[in-house]
Parts: sequence; C-alpha cells; structure tokens
Amino acid sequence: MTTPEVSARPPRSSRYYRPRRPISIVAVILGIIAGIAGGLYVAWGVAPVEEVDTAPWQLNAQGQADYIVAVMLAYSQDSDLNKAVTRLLELKLEGDPIQHVAEVACNLARAGYVAEPGGDRAIRAMMNFYQLQGRVGCAEQVMPVNAQPSPTFDLLIASTPTLPPPPTKTATPDGFSTGVTPTPTVRVAPTIAPQQAFTIVRLERFCDADFPGIIELYVHDTGGAPLPGQRARVRWNEGESLFITGVKPGRGADYGDFDMTPDISYTVDMPGLSDPSDVMISSGCFDATGAQTRSSYRVVFRPAF
Amino acid sequence: MLRFLVSLALGAVVGLMVGLYLGWVQFPLEYINSPMSALDPKYSDEYSVMVAQGFQADADAVGAVQRLRVLGVENVPEYVFQQAERYITNSRSPLEIQALIALSEGLGRSSPLFDQYRPVGVP
Repeated sequence: MTTPEVSARPPRSSRYYRPRRPISIVAVILGIIAGIAGGLYVAWGVAPVEEVDTAPWQLNAQGQADYIVAVMLAYSQDSDLNKAVTRLLELKLEGDPIQHVAEVACNLARAGYVAEPGGDRAIRAMMNFYQLQGRVGCAEQVMPVNAQPSPTFDLLIASTPTLPPPPTKTATPDGFSTGVTPTPTVRVAPTIAPQQAFTIVRLERFCDADFPGIIELYVHDTGGAPLPGQRARVRWNEGESLFITGVKPGRGADYGDFDMTPDISYTVDMPGLSDPSDVMISSGCFDATGAQTRSSYRVVFRPAF
Repeated sequence: MLRFLVSLALGAVVGLMVGLYLGWVQFPLEYINSPMSALDPKYSDEYSVMVAQGFQADADAVGAVQRLRVLGVENVPEYVFQQAERYITNSRSPLEIQALIALSEGLGRSSPLFDQYRPVGVP
C-alpha cells in the first residue's frame, strides 16, 4: 500500500530524472535543415559549378543544329548509319531523332542556310539521311530535288541518218573525166548520249516481307513507257554488279533488281548515262502486315531531256 | 538558451557542408542552352572530326572553317593541325586521323607526321 506522498512523485521516465543532454536535438535538426538550405542556395545560386563539360544535349537550339549538320556531313562521307544515330542520341532529342533531323533541315532551308558556305550540301546530306529512313520534311519543298547546277549541253538535233540512195542506171561522170576526185563526205553526228541522259525521278524505301532487301529498278522513257534492255549498275564499297532491265519474266520489260546485303551502302546508276543515286542501306523494318523484314528500295530512271 | 544556440549553430555548420556537397558534387547545376563554345573537349574533338569528314566529301574549306568557328576557336587551321597531331600521338582511329589531316592540309598546315597516314596508291 503506497502512501499518497509516494504516488504523487513523478514517474521514473520523467525528464526530471534524466540527465540533461549537452546539445539540443531539436536545435541541431533545425540547424541542419537551415544549413542544407543555405548550402544548396550557395551551390546552385551564388557560386554554381563552372560549366566545363557541356554535352551535346545541353547545347542551345543553334548549337544542336550545328551538331546535327556535322553528324550528317560525317554520315555523307562514311555512310555509317549506326554511328550517325548514336551521335544523334547524344542530343537526347524528344521523339524520333531522325524526324528531328528533317525538322532541322526544314528550318535551316527556310532560314537561308543554303546561301552559307557549304549550306546547300549540308541540307542535301540531311535530306538524304532522313529520306532513306522513310521520313519526310519540308526541306524538299524549299529545295527542289534537282536544284544542283547541272552541266549544260549544246544539243545537236541531228537528222536521222538515212542510207545513201541506191545507184541508178543514170551514168555519172567519173573522176577521171572531170579531173575532180569525188569525195563523199557523209558525216553522221555522234549519237553518244551525254552524261545525265537519264535521271532518277523516284527513289523510295519500302518494307515488304515478300521482297526483302532488294533494289527494284525501273527504266522508263519520257512518256513513262517501259524501256527494256537498259544497263544498270549497283556499286558498293568492294565491288559492283551490272544488270539489264526486262530479263525477269512477269516483272515488266522495264524491271531489274539486285539483292542487297544488310548494312552495306549501295548506289545505283546507269553507266555513262546517269549520276549515281543517293546511298541505300537495307536495314530491319516492319511491313504493313507487321511482319519483320528488311527494307528495300525502288528506283525509277527516266530520260533527262 | 545558450545550449539551444550552440546546437543550432552546430547543426547549421553540418547542414551547410552537406548542402554544398549535394549542390556541387552530387547534384551540380546542369546548364542547358549552352553555346557550342562551351562544348566538352571530348565532344568538340568529335565535332571537328565530323566537320573534317564533311570536308573529305566536299572539299569545301570555307564551309569547314565556318563550321569550326562556332567552337570559339580563333585560329581554325592551327586548331585542326594541333588536333591532328594529338590524334596521331594518341593513336586514334586512322580514319579520323586521315580526315583531320585532309582538313589540316586543306587549310595549309602540314607536318612530316602526316606522311604515314596518306593513302597509298596500289600500282
């Protein structure tokens, strides 16, 4: 039985029985919070770290455009798609980086970048890059596809050579009787086709699981009619291959094709008759049915004149 | 009261150090909208190589100089020359070295060091 005096004493856990701490926990916590706030203010606001390791993604819009131009110039030289895409990824662009290239090309073309040294070629390199990857931009409208200066030719409209008329029974004076040596001067104008007799009017990338990794080539005349028997050439780093249109039954008299090896850069031309095409690379893609396949290309040649 | 103030000051000192560490080391301020001249040397080297490769393709020296000027370089030919020599010294990719040599020589700077990297014609 406890006495009332004893029961009135504070419990043993009371602060009055604990020894007093040398520091105040509450004050320390308040101090730490205030200190962190002050430290962050100094570190971020008053004396931030000096900028010495800026990455491409931290560049301003103009800097990123310059960087993209350089990536495209390098790509136009080495045709290394993986390296180009890796470099674009360093920019941490939102959305599709290749489509971003198209937008930058569009902006540069509209801003008159073409007039700057090398600007025309840079924009064409960008167009070549994103068009090959199946993207579209407005640079095509600003810069016509065939705007590069093309050599001019003095066209010689030669009449169709006709056979000399058959000899008639009419006696003709001979040279001995007249003293003049007949010198028949039948001169046929050379009919060698000039360079760029043909031009590429269409170059498109497509995905079709039935035709994986091929270059489909068509040669038309000026009216769009098929031209059989035309020689075309596919070239790559280590070789070339010639083929002729119209030798594949069922594919048309103007048709020829070539099987592509993945990740190899190809160009196609008509030897001596056209300039080479832009670079084509067969890479993985999905066709309209969702089937995984390799990309193919369709190239159409037509007479330039 | 004195005990409270001392504790507060002690906490503030510790907090300040933690705050500075977080702000300068762990979560430093990251800049955006930086100019090309602030590019990290690693990336500015890569940029120069890309421009040099472009020069290999189009031989447009004026365009290449224009593109390198955005790096804030005063003497572009000297800058390219130095980078080419540095790449040779560090045994970097021969293709990159060849591109830099082409641009350096296109800008009028050559070196005997470049000779071994010239393409050799096959007889």
